[in-house]
Amino acid sequence: MIQLRNVSKIYPNGARALVDVNLKIGKGEFVFLVGPSGAGKSTIIKLFYRDETPTRGQVQINSKNLVRMKDREVPYLRRGIGVIFQDFKLLPNKTVFENVAFALEVIGVSRSEVKNRTLVTLELVGLASKEKSFPHELSGGEQQRVCVARAIINNPALLVADEPTGNLDPETAWEIMDLLYNINKRGTTVVMATHARNIVDKMQKRVIAIENGRVARDEEKGGYGYDA
Amino acid sequence: MTLNSTRYILRETVHSMKRNPWLSIASVLTVMVSLVILGFSVFFLANASNMAKSFESQLEIATFVQTSATSAQVQALQSQIQGMPGVASVTIVTKEQALIDFGKTMGGSQGNLVTDLGGTNPFPDKLTVKATDPQKVKALADAVSVLPGVDKVRYGQGYVDKLLIFTQWLRWIGLGVVVAFGIAAIVLISINVKMNVFSRRREIQIMKLVGASNGFIRWPFLIEGLALGLVGGALAATIVGMGYNWLANYILSTLTFLPVVQNGVLFRQVTVGLLLVGMVMGAIGSGLSLQKFLRA
Repeated sequence: MIQLRNVSKIYPNGARALVDVNLKIGKGEFVFLVGPSGAGKSTIIKLFYRDETPTRGQVQINSKNLVRMKDREVPYLRRGIGVIFQDFKLLPNKTVFENVAFALEVIGVSRSEVKNRTLVTLELVGLASKEKSFPHELSGGEQQRVCVARAIINNPALLVADEPTGNLDPETAWEIMDLLYNINKRGTTVVMATHARNIVDKMQKRVIAIENGRVARDEEKGGYGYDA
Repeated sequence: MTLNSTRYILRETVHSMKRNPWLSIASVLTVMVSLVILGFSVFFLANASNMAKSFESQLEIATFVQTSATSAQVQALQSQIQGMPGVASVTIVTKEQALIDFGKTMGGSQGNLVTDLGGTNPFPDKLTVKATDPQKVKALADAVSVLPGVDKVRYGQGYVDKLLIFTQWLRWIGLGVVVAFGIAAIVLISINVKMNVFSRRREIQIMKLVGASNGFIRWPFLIEGLALGLVGGALAATIVGMGYNWLANYILSTLTFLPVVQNGVLFRQVTVGLLLVGMVMGAIGSGLSLQKFLRA
């Protein structure tokens, strides 16, 4: 599903974010990316949906080469990838329904289908009753659910999340993790960068630790592994 | 572009203008003010160039024929000059006519003018030559002056050169004003569009994230820019048209000696021009400002 080969990334300001990273993630896996801040987790996530391209090396998603991909092909890649952010990135002047429907409307889905699929997805994340609310009227956990709904409404094969629980209290964080767990159960590959030790330790999924831009550890059913 | 997309884009354009009414109003006003200034400067150019032309058209070469010439010889000279390159017209002012004209300027009884002048008519026959191109007056005058039968020529030597330099400057200043305000209008409008795009950068970012194509993202902005530019241009055309009309009538009734352009064709051209410039600048401004945000 995802393959990184000898990937290095040096940002224009000279910062070396990734050094010779090799990585393989299979279809349907649930993977945690852990490691100190600035280690390169976010850069790896951004490579997946081609927000960044590597300075050297190859990135492949579903056997598509993202380095050689033309700019006009990028939208089609992104329609198959859901992205969740720590800060939710919701549009403040659109309702919950509009924020989620947005992902379908901008790719030209018919109005009736937009309506059906949006309502079904809002049901799935438990926000059916809040469809007319605006983001500022919701709690953090609810806002993150909206973000999750927007990310999965296209039935993406891959869901990437950059610290999705970073702004949430522990209880709400677990609600989001349940959601991601269920989405993964339905066959979606999930890659999640996180600092949440208790979540990683409890979920017993594959853990890839990134340190100084290198893969420091990669184990099945791993734990967070860093001392507090 | 599918029908669904088109419908969405149009809906989104209207929504966006409703959601940011002040920004829309600010854009329209910016376009309007810029184009009002541009419109007036076009009329300024038209008048400057018209004034220059009117000054230049008053240039003529007075060709005095030797007093010994018969009227047949004068007529032969007329047709000879008429045949020269660069000559627009040649009219004969006979010595008798010259005397009458002179009498009129003296405002008196011309009956005994000849007697008063010593029994002879002191005026020579005169040919008034107009050149097709005011720049060529000097060369033409030199050519005419050496023709047989010509006594001397007068064309305001020295004065002509200064007048031509002055009218040339008048045109350059008019053109400069148009260019300067044209650039100012483009800069103002593009700043406004940039603000508009900047205020919606989050929306653009998310659109890209969920896989909207660049064309899809660009359309609402282009249409919005086009619409706001059109409204601003229409307001500007109205203000410029009415304002100039009022100003022209005022000048015509008070400073009657000034040649003021009142030309229906020019009015239509300026109106259509302002509408087009408004639309094009709105659309191009949006497109260019977006480019930065759309690049991967």
